[in-house]
Amino acid sequence: MLSRFFRHRHAFITYPLLFLIGFIGLLPYYWMVSCSFKTNDNMFLVPLQWMPNPINWNAYGDAWRAQDFTRYFLNSSLVAIAITFGNLLLASLAGYSLSKFRYFGRGILFLLILSTMMLPLEVTMVPLFLIVKKLNWPNTYEGLIVPFLVEGFGVFLMRQYLQSIPNELIEAARIDGASELRIYAQIVMPLCKPALAALGVFTFREAWDMYIWPLIIVTKDSLRTLPLGISLFMSSFGTAWDQLMAVAAIGTLPMILLFFFLQRSFIQGIAITGLKE
Amino acid sequence: MSALASTQPRLGWNRLRLNVTTKQALFGYAILLPTLAIIVIFRFLPMLQAFYISLNEYDLIRPPKFIGLENFIDLLRDPLFLNSARVSVTYVVFSCVPVWILSLGLAVLFNRQIVAKNLFRSAAFMPVVMPAVVNAVVWTFMYHQDGVVNTILGWFDLDPIPWLRSSKWALWAIIIIGIWRATPYYMVIFLAGLQAIPHEYYEAAQIDGASAWRQFRHITLPLLKPTTLLVMVMSVIVAMKVFAVPLIMTGGGPADSTRVLPLFIYQTAFEFFKMGRAAAMSVFLFAAVMVFTLFQIQLFSHGEE
Repeated sequence: MLSRFFRHRHAFITYPLLFLIGFIGLLPYYWMVSCSFKTNDNMFLVPLQWMPNPINWNAYGDAWRAQDFTRYFLNSSLVAIAITFGNLLLASLAGYSLSKFRYFGRGILFLLILSTMMLPLEVTMVPLFLIVKKLNWPNTYEGLIVPFLVEGFGVFLMRQYLQSIPNELIEAARIDGASELRIYAQIVMPLCKPALAALGVFTFREAWDMYIWPLIIVTKDSLRTLPLGISLFMSSFGTAWDQLMAVAAIGTLPMILLFFFLQRSFIQGIAITGLKE
Repeated sequence: MSALASTQPRLGWNRLRLNVTTKQALFGYAILLPTLAIIVIFRFLPMLQAFYISLNEYDLIRPPKFIGLENFIDLLRDPLFLNSARVSVTYVVFSCVPVWILSLGLAVLFNRQIVAKNLFRSAAFMPVVMPAVVNAVVWTFMYHQDGVVNTILGWFDLDPIPWLRSSKWALWAIIIIGIWRATPYYMVIFLAGLQAIPHEYYEAAQIDGASAWRQFRHITLPLLKPTTLLVMVMSVIVAMKVFAVPLIMTGGGPADSTRVLPLFIYQTAFEFFKMGRAAAMSVFLFAAVMVFTLFQIQLFSHGEE
């Protein structure tokens, strides 16, 4: 181990550099969590307090009682899970259709879907709001979920992935008399597991992060998602930094869990956004 | 007799095949339909509608009134809009260029043999894991006058900076966050690109006695060109969309110094209810995204021999 360490010619530069990178990457996390356990009087001491002393155990409970964070958390979970499953189902179906079936207009339809891939929500938010308003969807879960049930990127990804699956497999199943839906569910989908996992984690992360759209269409407290709740808390919290950090830590927790338990897919989900050819 | 026998089943077979292909085509359409409906209604139509609304005056209460290009003419004369465009351009340039360099550097670093590589790489990756709103909240706290960022500056005998309260520094504070959060994201994409380069190239170069820098310059960089192009386009588009961080941290202030375009669009539409004007701004944003994408693709395909 040690010999390997020193065999590296630049070890004396590389490892300090790595520690510096790690420090920069982790500092906001450390600061968020440690300050959620500090008392408010100790937040801005000179010199700064790096370890909370005395430990303040109340921030999480106090913050949770100040606003209906349980509700926000459940709303965020519901919306993110619904959007994730919607994307997995619809993008895989569409990708399957666009890669393995021949029909009139397939190329044009694919281009139409692709053309929306690079389109930022910021460009379309005004008309999108007017459409959702016409559907009477402001302040509903439909309004939060349905417009995001599928994205051009997911369709593109699944199509690319499915193209690598041999047609013979599908043909053989057809000859055996399997129905089309069964072929999709029992033969094609199991082969797509890595792509689905990556797309799923990627979508969940984006959905959990969603801020601008809920901000536009949600005004009722009972429909607020966690990002809305956190930013609302911030604009009204006064100087209760401990509680604000506690709320922020709770909002990050699902992402941390996702990262640690599905690390491969999490990173794969980002690497695949680099496969656009 | 034999001819009859062979045509008879073939006719039947053909009819069956036709049915099967039609059936398959119908199934293909059917499973594409939900996706198509959502994309058309919630993406494609809004894109077209943005152009139409930009030609109207519309406050959500009175019916839209067609005014031609007036919104665009007004915008080009509006110092607030021009300022916002400038802020956005500054943000994009000064957050993206460092991100390209740092993310490629990190990718090269993590592509080497390192003890406890996974641990370091995970630590470097953590900024991507933090949700945008949390990011804004935590950094607001860290940028406090007596906060941790100024404390660290103090270690190097630097004076504390009034980060978010000064119109000179606020945009830089937000740019730093942008760099912090985006770098590991593109590091992952660069790493995937690096791992796709065959080892033999480097082995051959080493036999020829090429230095590490020359290997990087003549093997890594040219072979990473498609990845680099993609990272450039993606990072610019993502940077153009920055919204949550400035809204939460500064609300566009102080003195409009952080009012990036998406934030200004949002405020025009949903705080001042000028839908037509906001749509006209988003047409500008859309044009910028398109031009940038095409320009960079052009730039790169031109350099290819």
